[in-house]
Amino acid sequence: MLGEALKGHLDLLLLAILSEGPAHGYAVIESLRQRSGNLFDLPEGTIYPALHRLENQGLLRSHWSEDSLRRKRIYQLTPKGQGALSKRQEEWKKFSEAVNATAGI
Amino acid sequence: MQRREFEMKDDRIQAYLRALEHKLWLRGSSNPEIMAEIESHLLESVEAGRRQGLNVEEAEQQALERFGSVKVIANTFEKERMNWMQNILLGIAVLAGLFFAYVDSRPTWDDTGILAGGLLLISGLLTLLGHRKPWLIALAVGIWIPLHDIYLSHDFRLLLVLLFPLIGAYGGWAVRLGIRKTLHLA
Repeated sequence: MLGEALKGHLDLLLLAILSEGPAHGYAVIESLRQRSGNLFDLPEGTIYPALHRLENQGLLRSHWSEDSLRRKRIYQLTPKGQGALSKRQEEWKKFSEAVNATAGI
Repeated sequence: MQRREFEMKDDRIQAYLRALEHKLWLRGSSNPEIMAEIESHLLESVEAGRRQGLNVEEAEQQALERFGSVKVIANTFEKERMNWMQNILLGIAVLAGLFFAYVDSRPTWDDTGILAGGLLLISGLLTLLGHRKPWLIALAVGIWIPLHDIYLSHDFRLLLVLLFPLIGAYGGWAVRLGIRKTLHLA
């Protein structure tokens, strides 16, 4: 149930995590898990199609890092991605305020 | 180097990667960069498990469980790819439909059989390639000829032309469904 609800907002969460700095997929999913207190516990592999889509949309860019023992694909927010993040944060704020007001929370 | 490092480990992760690559290939989503990225993720996850005190087998088991089943991950990749393809296939349908309408409007053209076959085949091909809405493809391919002819003749029976792309589109959709069931992709 929570997983399904989360899917609709995954783009916002991924963009928000990457707004704090470049990171590879494993670090992104770890951050997602930790920041949500383990509530957002998606199958880790499901974030990669979303990351690739955001990259295809020009909201992220990526490169392969060779500076550790293992090659890692590092993602970072583009200026267009920063703009998209601000817009989605604003939309979410309005939406959540409306839900809270309606539900009496 | 990455490959050698990977081969030294238990073949459970290797087997998972092979199974996932096969499923992605069947869905047309296989890509060496994707596989390298997933391999890197899984190895990092195993290392994290080891740091938590798990033995190699437990750490690999945990890494695979957290990553998700082969079927779930392959389906997620396919869903993203197909979402992206929907508009492209629809665009091709509109262009093909306009082309057929242009050909049909030429005074020298009188081969209705070829045109009907063309409407049927292109609609079938586009749903076979993965468009999820056969009715929309049929409309996008087939609406232009009747629109043009109704404008000229005011004869609404010409809408029957839509039968050809409808049959083609639902035929292609059914064949795709059959192929997916046969290959256990559905």
